[in-house]
Amino acid sequence: MRWVTWENIGVDRMGCAWLIRRFVDPSAEFVFVAAGAGPLPDGAEPFDIPGARLSHRGGHSSFHTIVREYGLDDPVLQRIAQLVDEADVTQEVTIEPAAPGLDLICRGLRLTSPDDRTAVERGALIYDALYAQLAADPSS
Amino acid sequence: MSVRWLLLLYKVPREPTVARVSVWRKLKRLGALLLHDAVWVLPPSSRTREELQWLAAEIRERGGDAMLWEASLCSDGRNDELVGQFVAQVDAVYAEILAGLKRPDADLAGLSKRYQQARLQDYFRSPLGERARQALLAAGGRAD
Repeated sequence: MRWVTWENIGVDRMGCAWLIRRFVDPSAEFVFVAAGAGPLPDGAEPFDIPGARLSHRGGHSSFHTIVREYGLDDPVLQRIAQLVDEADVTQEVTIEPAAPGLDLICRGLRLTSPDDRTAVERGALIYDALYAQLAADPSS
Repeated sequence: MSVRWLLLLYKVPREPTVARVSVWRKLKRLGALLLHDAVWVLPPSSRTREELQWLAAEIRERGGDAMLWEASLCSDGRNDELVGQFVAQVDAVYAEILAGLKRPDADLAGLSKRYQQARLQDYFRSPLGERARQALLAAGGRAD
């Protein structure tokens, strides 16, 4: 299936792409369009684009929305969703000290990647690592 | 050189109050300035642009309306004034941190947390922020 999002991905879209490929659609193919670009390509599911079904909702990140929409009942993913919420946009309450660091690393990863496709692949390493550590030690 | 600013104009329904307060708190947390009770201002960067774009989406989701603008002032001289207001806002926090550090029972963990929050709103890298940083490091026994 094809999935579409805005180019220049950061912490949330990088996380969403990882989440989709690992837990929703292993053969996902990603398409990137300019921010605010007019009609989205037909037959592709949009994510992290304002107004889309899979976007920010109720003050939560798009990552959080995807976890909920697809009923991903995994405490580690729920924890990562909390991290992405805080890393992605200002929150009134912050309880994840690693969140600002995750945001910086993902921004930097996009800067060192030649394009968004590569950034998705490299971002997957970060999210795999995050998942592994939080699964190994939930008190992390 | 034309200095640019991000402007957010919005309205949210009067009820529920929680929605209005939540939007207001997020803008305060970003260190945005409210001008004449009308427009919220932030300097443009990829972070502030994204933050405000998502906040605008959240406002619409809550049944309100929001427009995000990027603009420059026609009266050039007032740019410095705006920058001054942003700096004064974080300097007030830095000054409190420096004063707090002088107390014998200084709460270092609490003061560092306040520093981190101020740092995120310090869009023009205030020199007082550097002093607060050095003072915190020295108080924690690791001066540069």
